[in-house]
Amino acid sequence: MRSAASFLIFVGFGIVLSFLIIPVANAEELDIFGYFEPQFILLYREGQSYQMNSDKLRVDLQSSASNVEFGADLIYNLYYGKKNWNILDFFSEEIRNEVPEAMQYYFLVEFKDTLYLDNVYVRMSNSKIACTFGKQQISLGTGYFSNPIDVFNFKDALDPTYEQTGYNGARLDIMLRDRTSVMLLYSPIEGGWKDSGKLFRLKVGLGHFDFAVTGYEFQDHLTDFYSLPGTRERRRLAGLEFVGELFGLGFWGEGAYNFMETSDDFYEFLLGTDYTFESGLYVLLEYHRNERGKARYEDYNINDWLRFYLGENKTICQDQIYAMVSYPFTDLINLQLLSIFSVDDGSAAVVPVIDYNIFENVDLNIMGNVFTGGEGKAYNSRLGNGFIIRARVYF
Amino acid sequence: MLLEKFIKYDGLGEDLTTKPFNYLTAFVRKLYGGGNMLRKVLLFFVLVVCSGLIAEETEEKITAEEIIMTMTETLNPEQSEAVMEMTMITSGGQERTFVYKAYSKNKGEKSLMKYLEPGRVKNQTVLMLNNADDIWTYFPKTKRVRKLATHAKRQKVQGSDFSYEDLGSSNEFIDDYNSVLLGEEEKNGKLCYKLELAKKEDSDVGYSHLVVWVEKDAYVPLVIDYYHEKDPELLEKELVLSDLKVIDNIPTPMKMVMYNKLDNTTTSMGFRELTYDVNLPDDLFTEMGMKK
Repeated sequence: MRSAASFLIFVGFGIVLSFLIIPVANAEELDIFGYFEPQFILLYREGQSYQMNSDKLRVDLQSSASNVEFGADLIYNLYYGKKNWNILDFFSEEIRNEVPEAMQYYFLVEFKDTLYLDNVYVRMSNSKIACTFGKQQISLGTGYFSNPIDVFNFKDALDPTYEQTGYNGARLDIMLRDRTSVMLLYSPIEGGWKDSGKLFRLKVGLGHFDFAVTGYEFQDHLTDFYSLPGTRERRRLAGLEFVGELFGLGFWGEGAYNFMETSDDFYEFLLGTDYTFESGLYVLLEYHRNERGKARYEDYNINDWLRFYLGENKTICQDQIYAMVSYPFTDLINLQLLSIFSVDDGSAAVVPVIDYNIFENVDLNIMGNVFTGGEGKAYNSRLGNGFIIRARVYF
Repeated sequence: MLLEKFIKYDGLGEDLTTKPFNYLTAFVRKLYGGGNMLRKVLLFFVLVVCSGLIAEETEEKITAEEIIMTMTETLNPEQSEAVMEMTMITSGGQERTFVYKAYSKNKGEKSLMKYLEPGRVKNQTVLMLNNADDIWTYFPKTKRVRKLATHAKRQKVQGSDFSYEDLGSSNEFIDDYNSVLLGEEEKNGKLCYKLELAKKEDSDVGYSHLVVWVEKDAYVPLVIDYYHEKDPELLEKELVLSDLKVIDNIPTPMKMVMYNKLDNTTTSMGFRELTYDVNLPDDLFTEMGMKK
């Protein structure tokens, strides 16, 4: 039954595809572009400093005819400096002692040089319909620092605009009328139709506001670091989001209620506002609540920490406030100050950023990070304070 | 002055002030009453003098609103497709050049900009609807679309001296400002109407007032001075338009230079390609159109 449903889905996509492919013109030349990104990280923790460098090369390939686009990007990462880390070193002694001796091996990680295809997709479209197959970028939600609706990406709140890896699926976008569209996504996994991801999303523009409702069924995975591997269960997400303007301020929000097959249901939402002053000063504020996080920092355990770092849970605590202040110091230099504050345990992370467009196609980015919290808190100083210098040379 | 005398001579009343041709017909009737040669010679000279006066009177009657309306229509043809080059020069003398495709429809009410160069902004797209009251930006690396609020109209486009408001709002001269005709003045070697546009109370534009010099023949602005929102005496930016060419029967300034008087920076924009003879689909000005 499940395989029959999967078959029908693919037949359906095939029919849509054939309609789109028929009017395809000759493919244009392959466009090759991308960037080279050397990065230097210096980290101070518990009286010691650590260095890690990385070089990243991203090569984008893109070819498009009148209504067919092929895209792929190849990423090559090289690591230098301190490449071997024990994750447990970043946690309090109490947490470290929770991990059985036999399990400690799993917490040793090594940054290995990698070469992989991040996005590989073909997109066929006419004026009303677009069909995308393959590993592709799927970005949902209106939040800047975090997106409760977006289970495909896990934003680093300290560096929220950094690109994310692609997600495999077959996607259909249908433009119903001006500012009204439907998105369907099928993301097949080994288990067949029942276990595969199925998404429906309707987006509507009303006045100066955009609204969207999202329904997504997929397999949710939570690793148990006390007794690997963990649990899998069906998760049904119902999401609502909006973005617009209220009293002259930008105003947005997104919320998701998650119906879980076996564990407790939970909700997550984010509200945000922003404003640009006459001087060019830009201020953004967001509040994020995640019921899956914990309200008391004394209750954080190794599962909470690692699920957060692996992206299985969006936050470690329940309530967070994000703030960003940005100012164009010159036409080429932009100054930013990002801050994350855990309402539950009072800890915070402060990230000053300098963005400098040093040459026509070269960006220089300097980021600091300071964690203010005490032992065991969400943003505790044991996580290490330091800075990142990142250059990006585009070609 | 002379017309007033004609009115008194004819005793026709004040309503003629709004109908210049009536002065002439009334005066001709008066002169032709007798029919001798002297009267006919006199009539000839009067006609010559009057025709000049009437032409002058007709031109004076054009209102500031009419000039702004005509100028806005000239600047915003029904549709356009262009490849534009924008070069900014910083106060330190560094240059940054951007090339983008620009589409507009419904006399500029809808517009879309897609960056072609440099690599760091390649395929980034900006969609502006309702005369830039609604702005969306699309980032190709993350395939994320972000809606900007109205206040973001003040933000600089790619650090240039043009704001979204400067680029995307096609009807701002009509909707956001009250205009007054200050007179005629020569500017950059051309005879121009000089107008002052004061910000309307309910408008959210980022300038207190503008002074605009509109070329009399083509109804194209040659210079626009933008004054600071908080300090109306302070000249913030000056836009100079030049290289007037007729493209698809529409007079078009091919080059625009914005001088930022406060930051001492300059941004120039020019057309690499331009056509008004296009039929752009509405679907281009949608989220799907941004991603294409």
